[in-house]
Parts: sequence; C-alpha cells; structure tokens
Amino acid sequence: MSSTEQGTSSAAPAEPTTAPESAAAPEVPESFYYVHGKDKVVHKVSAGALQHSALIHGMISNLGYTEEQAKANPFPFENIDGDILQMVVDWCNQHKGKPTPPEDTNLPKQKEKLFDLVLAVNYLEIKELLTYCCKQVAMMVKGKSPEEIREIWMIPTDAEDEAAEKEAKKRAGKEAAGETAAAAGDAK
Amino acid sequence: MTSIMEMPELVMEKIVGFSDFKAVLTLRQVCRDFQNFIDDLKDSKLPDSEISEIEIISKKDENKIILRFMHSPGDYHRVEYSEMENSRSFESEEEEEENPRRKTITDLGGSNVVDVAIRDLELVLRFQKSKLFTSYFQFDDFRLLNDSTIHTLPTRLSNMFNVSCPRIKTREIRMKVYDSSQILPILQFADPTNLSLLEICSMDNNMEVDSKEIVETDYWKKANEVHCDFHMSNLKVEDVCHFYNITLKTNSFNAKDMDTLKKAFLSLPEHSIYDSWTIRLKDFNESDELSNLWGPPFDFGFATAWHFRLKDLKKNVLQIYSEMDDSQEYNIFDFTIMGLKHVPNGAVVHY
Repeated sequence: MSSTEQGTSSAAPAEPTTAPESAAAPEVPESFYYVHGKDKVVHKVSAGALQHSALIHGMISNLGYTEEQAKANPFPFENIDGDILQMVVDWCNQHKGKPTPPEDTNLPKQKEKLFDLVLAVNYLEIKELLTYCCKQVAMMVKGKSPEEIREIWMIPTDAEDEAAEKEAKKRAGKEAAGETAAAAGDAK
Repeated sequence: MTSIMEMPELVMEKIVGFSDFKAVLTLRQVCRDFQNFIDDLKDSKLPDSEISEIEIISKKDENKIILRFMHSPGDYHRVEYSEMENSRSFESEEEEEENPRRKTITDLGGSNVVDVAIRDLELVLRFQKSKLFTSYFQFDDFRLLNDSTIHTLPTRLSNMFNVSCPRIKTREIRMKVYDSSQILPILQFADPTNLSLLEICSMDNNMEVDSKEIVETDYWKKANEVHCDFHMSNLKVEDVCHFYNITLKTNSFNAKDMDTLKKAFLSLPEHSIYDSWTIRLKDFNESDELSNLWGPPFDFGFATAWHFRLKDLKKNVLQIYSEMDDSQEYNIFDFTIMGLKHVPNGAVVHY
C-alpha cells in the first residue's frame, strides 16, 4: 500500500460556509478559524468544530490568533479537494460538541468520493469519521467475490499491475536516456 | 482517481478490522499486494473467525485429508485434500442460501497435500479469537502405505502447534485413534486451560490403554467429563472422582472401590440431573460384597439397583443400576440421578 495524500478529482467551488452560532457558550465568544482546500475556497469553522481534527486542533491550540489574524491566515490544505473539505467541515459542524453516534449513514455513496474522503480524514486525523469511512469501505465488498472486489475497489490484477510496472520502468528508462542525450547536447 | 491501493497502511488495517473472516480470506485472493498485506498483519488486527468446531481427519481408503470448520449448525466449510488427484476441494453450506452447496476444486500443481493443508489450517487458526466448542481429530493408520505422505500429518500438526501457531483453545477434545500411542500427541494440539470434555474412541475394538500417563495430564485433570470406549488398565478410583460425567471400561475396581466411587458421586459439589457415570467393570465378581456394603439391591430380574438420597437435590436420588453387558464380559454400573417418584415400588432409598 502506498501512502499518498493527493486527491485528484476536481469539483465545483463550494460557497464558504458559516458555522452556526453556538448557543451553548454565551459568555466566552467562540473563536473561528479559516481553512481552504485545493480550490482556494475558504471555510470559516469554529474552534469547537475543529476539535474533531487532531491535526488542526494541535495547530491552533497554541496560536492565540485574533479574529483578524485568523482571517488573514487560512490553513491551506492543498492536498484536499474543495468538495471533500466541504464534506469534512460540514461533518465537524454537525458533530460539534456532541457525542458521535455509533454509525453514520450520511457518507458519500460514490466510491471515488469516499476514498478521497478517507485520505482527507486520515490526514486531518478525525478519528471517529475515519472509523465510519473505513467501516463503509469494508461494507462495500461484504459477500463479494475476488473479481467483484477488484472491480468495486478499482484494483488491477497482478498481471495488469506487472504490465503497468514494466511500462513505467520503460518510460523512466526512456526519460533517463532523453535526459542523458539532452545533457550531452548541453555539454556540446 | 484514488484507488484503495493508495490508502495508508493504518487505514487498510482499519478496513480489514471491519471486514469479517470470510471477507478477509476473499481479500487475500484479490491480488498479491493484498495477500502480503494481510499475511504481514498481526493476528490481533484480524477479525474473529467465530468458528465453533474444527475437525481434522485423514482417510486411508481415499488418501485424503479433510478439514471441516463449522460456524454454527448448518453453516460449515469442508476442505478436502486429495493425494490421488492432487487437488483441494472446497465446499460450503449456509442455511440461508437457496442453493446451499457450492464446491470449488483447485489443482494443487506440484504442491504436497500435507503442506497445503497445514498452510491452510494455520491461516484459518490465525483468525481464531474465541474458544472453540469442539475439536475433533481422527488420523487413519497410513504406516503401511509407503507411497503416501499423509502419515506425516500428525507430526506436522505437532510441529505447527509447537512452533508457529498457539495451541487450540477448546472446550471439548474428541478423537478417534487406531493406537493408544496417538492419544498423548493429539491431546497436545489443544490448550488444556478451558477444557471440559475429553472423548477418546478407538477404531480397534480390542484396544487396551494403560491409564498411568493419561491420568497425569492436565487434560484429564481439568476436564469434568470423560468418555472412553476402550479398556483402561491401572486406573485408580481417585483418578475419576472429579468427573461429573464418565463413560469408561476397566478391570481395576473392586467392591470397596465402588463404595468409594458412590461416596465421591454423592459428594460432588452442585449436582445436576445430567450427572451420570457409566463404568464397565471386567470380570467383576464382588456383587455380594457390594450388597454387604450398600444393603440388598432392588432386583429387576435382569438387573439390580441401589438408591441413595442426595443432599442437595431433595426430590432426586442417585440410582446405581447394575447389569451384565451383551458380551457377558463387563458388568455395567450406571450412576444416574432420578426423580424420587421414579424409584420402583419396594426399593429402599438408603441414606
């Protein structure tokens, strides 16, 4: 398994979301932070909602930003597609300050989106959401044959895999040869 | 487009953790990367197979090894390894399916059937988290079949349980043996800690076993139920007093020993109506001594019986029923708990 954090699907830019006003803490004004994904669309999220993400929580806990500073310095997550980040922000807002339910049925049904969400959630270290996502991924192939699993999870067969690897090697070899030729040309 | 193969390992571990046993075995067949990933996982990351019964059998007439895994009654997997056809056949039956039997046969190529069977068993046992209800072992006598390698199966299993795989945790060990020398090695496949039943049957009607070694094992001491269908010599009364259920044959007990057994049965802690001992005594000729110790028995004509009060089950009694078996070789003594109202008219209930 390779470890990649790069989402690849493109999506329409989403409108910035505004976190609902928290009625639970009237005395201490809630602080907000700003995040954006690959599409640069900025989302305003409360610190309470962001607590779900161990990564962001760790980043903001010692910053002591003022509202203006936070607005001026949104956290860039260039490796996360805009629509996926929107899903994550929505989930964090919905579950702000609430105990998470044993199951979440609102996850994307489309496997490409689900896989991208898994990668984003794993990167942002949102433990509960990652658990739901992984469970959903596992359920996709329950009772299926190896061939069906290959199709559902988009896994190449060993033969296809080897062919692709050969092709890549060949390409890399050609490129290297090209570079050497170019370098030789430069030297001249 | 993101593929599952790009997921970080921790994520994949979580996904495997949410899959059930059958799904993980299927995942291993998806591709080599998956197989390697699953084989490298720690056993604790794998789901529980929830298998309740395992049978490991070798059959001489067909040169076969059979592994049978039962999840619940009616839901089992049976894997047959045929040395003649060099194949593995996999058959499953599930209650809820319309067409219940599915059978797939794989050609094993140049692989040895014992190697493949051991490898498969080892893989399945990695998923065994909960204790098994029953483990059954039966190995035919392959000693005279020189061209078969199946005779190595018990030794290979011993090695596997000693080296690469923890011993089976099971409530019941059942086995069928052709020779008494098989008993102790087979027992070693299991962990005695949770054992409650030990059943040893013989393929040879005339098998006789010296009980000295077996009664010293933890398996014998931990079990509270023992069933043996062969003759046991050198058995002592104190070797059997702790069992709630017994079936055995011996020539070791005299009338005084039977009296000790009666007292032991009566003083078992927490009787249940299912407690029962069937002890077959060869050449027992001390019936008169028993009558002296226990008083005159009730005479059924073809059998005799004594009845004794139980302290904890007031509405029940212990009946010791005695008759000769069909071969006229053994005197059968049946210790059972029965309702007071079923004691025959005229029988004395002793205190």
